[in-house]
Amino acid sequence: MSLSDLTPQRYPFLWRWVIEHVWRIEHAFERAQADGRAENDTRIRILVVAAVFSLGFVVMAAGAVWSATLSDAGKGGRAYAGAPKRADLVDREGRLLAANLTHYTLSIDTREVWSRRETRAALLKALPRLKPSQLDRALKAEKRGLVMRGLTPAEKERIHALGLPGVVFDPEQRRVYPLGALAAHLLGYDEKGGAPVAGAEKALEAEILKAGDEGRPVALSIDVRVQAALEEELALAAAEFQPKGAVGVITNVHTGEILGVASWPDFDPNHPGRATPEQLRNRAAASVFEMGSTFKAFTVAIGLDTHVATPDSTFDATQPLKMGYRTIHDFHGTNRILTLREVFNHSSNIGTAKLALAVGADRMARYFHALGLTKRAQVELLESTRPLTPKKWDEDDMASVSFGHGINVSPLALAQAMGAILNGGELVPLTIRKQVPGYRPKGERVMSEQTTMSMLQIMRDNVVNGTGRKADAPGLMVGGKTGTGEKYDPEIRGYSNYKQVGSFAAVFPTDGPVDAERYFVLILMDEPQGGVRTGGWVAAPAVGRIVDRIAPFLGVKRRQPDPALMQTPTYVATARLATPGGAR
Amino acid sequence: MISRLFTHRTRGFRTLNVVLASVLLVTAVGVNLAKTVAGKERTEIGRAERDIARERDRIRVLEAEVAHLEQPERLERLSRAFLAMAPVTAKQETTADDLIAVASRRPGAAPQPVAIPASAPVVATAPGDSHAPGEEGQ
Repeated sequence: MSLSDLTPQRYPFLWRWVIEHVWRIEHAFERAQADGRAENDTRIRILVVAAVFSLGFVVMAAGAVWSATLSDAGKGGRAYAGAPKRADLVDREGRLLAANLTHYTLSIDTREVWSRRETRAALLKALPRLKPSQLDRALKAEKRGLVMRGLTPAEKERIHALGLPGVVFDPEQRRVYPLGALAAHLLGYDEKGGAPVAGAEKALEAEILKAGDEGRPVALSIDVRVQAALEEELALAAAEFQPKGAVGVITNVHTGEILGVASWPDFDPNHPGRATPEQLRNRAAASVFEMGSTFKAFTVAIGLDTHVATPDSTFDATQPLKMGYRTIHDFHGTNRILTLREVFNHSSNIGTAKLALAVGADRMARYFHALGLTKRAQVELLESTRPLTPKKWDEDDMASVSFGHGINVSPLALAQAMGAILNGGELVPLTIRKQVPGYRPKGERVMSEQTTMSMLQIMRDNVVNGTGRKADAPGLMVGGKTGTGEKYDPEIRGYSNYKQVGSFAAVFPTDGPVDAERYFVLILMDEPQGGVRTGGWVAAPAVGRIVDRIAPFLGVKRRQPDPALMQTPTYVATARLATPGGAR
Repeated sequence: MISRLFTHRTRGFRTLNVVLASVLLVTAVGVNLAKTVAGKERTEIGRAERDIARERDRIRVLEAEVAHLEQPERLERLSRAFLAMAPVTAKQETTADDLIAVASRRPGAAPQPVAIPASAPVVATAPGDSHAPGEEGQ
């Protein structure tokens, strides 16, 4: 209740009572005067005044006691405040990826320094990474000079223990990435002023600040163990084939969660200023490539979904296919009639182009739009870039696009579209946020479940009998498609035979019902070096090794273990390489 | 009655004045004491809060250090270097049911038990016994 509530209109009886009693007191004074008892009149007045003052005093005293003992006023919060508090970033198992830690800015108030020479010597000894010139500048300041930012708590304690007069520490919040370069492109980094500029830090900036206020971490979709295996194998493959760049992506095809994403070369987000632009570029999201034959998976899926072909339909690949002024050849020429399954296994450009022509340019274009291949990948990352698509979708262009030429998409866009043909036919957006167990988003239906089941078989067959043999991992039912795209070289104004993009797009396990847990793995090498630069040679082996390593973390068990494969002297039944959190 | 309240004196002082002065004094001292005690407690609380904040910061630093030390790449490097461990391959995995088959292929392992016809003579051989029946005592 406030005083404004005590209006005469609201409480008329209260006002009447007050007015009556004031008048009664006044009448008492008048009666006393009329009766000739003036001294009573004065005493009563003094009594009333004293009572009013006493009441006021008691109220104030009570207020003072309450304010002194019970009130929260002036208590304040933390001892100091730094930059806006950002939440920790953790992986899907709660392992720390990024955190705000209190660091300190070291300053010197020269008015309080009693010996500049001794202060200089002591500070340089306690803080070896401090540049003498930096310290000298601060010591020459008239009042307070900045010496260094970003002192760790240990460094601060070391200097504090020296007891030097005039040395001042100001706390500041600094973003730290304890795992160094691991998942650097996904996490992002801060610019010098502390504002996030890339990755999850930028994409989820508002969410991270809100979670920071609430004191809870933000969980990302990646698994540190999966990410580490991906990055290590990608780096090994890169060391072997010396590409210009390389990309690795692992997703859950049903939820769209990105379980691992790597771009090589990488960088340390703790020191982004030391990285080159090439290192900072997230090739998984911000670069587009002509993927080559991995696109045949889309064309074959479209052919099956439109019922234009079945896995056993035949295509004449005995002669190159003439399309106007150009001729389409096969890289792995068979010069015979191929079934659709063989078209896929032998990666026949001729067979795939004929299938696309049979489907029709309009229908092919509609499917490509529905698969999200003509738009930027749907993912929170702001780096996700638009594809380069044909200006028109006529038969000539569609024949090229059917085997991955004439269209440039980002690896994440490829992963999203592959998810649709492998998860039962729904286009599910990719996400870097951890989703709750059992999460199954309702995506736009692009294909039938039957198409997915057929594609799983065809992709598995390609790894068993086709160009993807090197990607097989025993008992894990890997399926996939190789891809080798030639790059456009401005110097020769045409496609180069030497600058290529080798990739392998895999799925595992390929068995089980359509809604079984299933994962997509992509390895891409941009301009690999060496005699053979095909996807089956430069990317497929890395995929096999990655699948072999991450399957236990994802809970995928080997099918039909073959006892004959086992080496008895070094047999280990359950031990796994120690990783934080252990195997799931 | 009221006039007595104003006129009553104790040792020459009006009782009412003495009472009011006493109330004033007690209240003032009380407020002062309360304020002093509360101030001390507030200082203590502030110090405790600063300690908690510092401790939290230390814990966060330690958590970050733990995360840094538990980097999968580092653990793998150390495991390979000091424990001779490596990622488990398919050749090293089996099911519990197949353990017997694996054990039987170890060098020097006892032969797998075979079904013996009921009419055949039973010869008990201890596992790992390298002596053939009939060699005993030679």
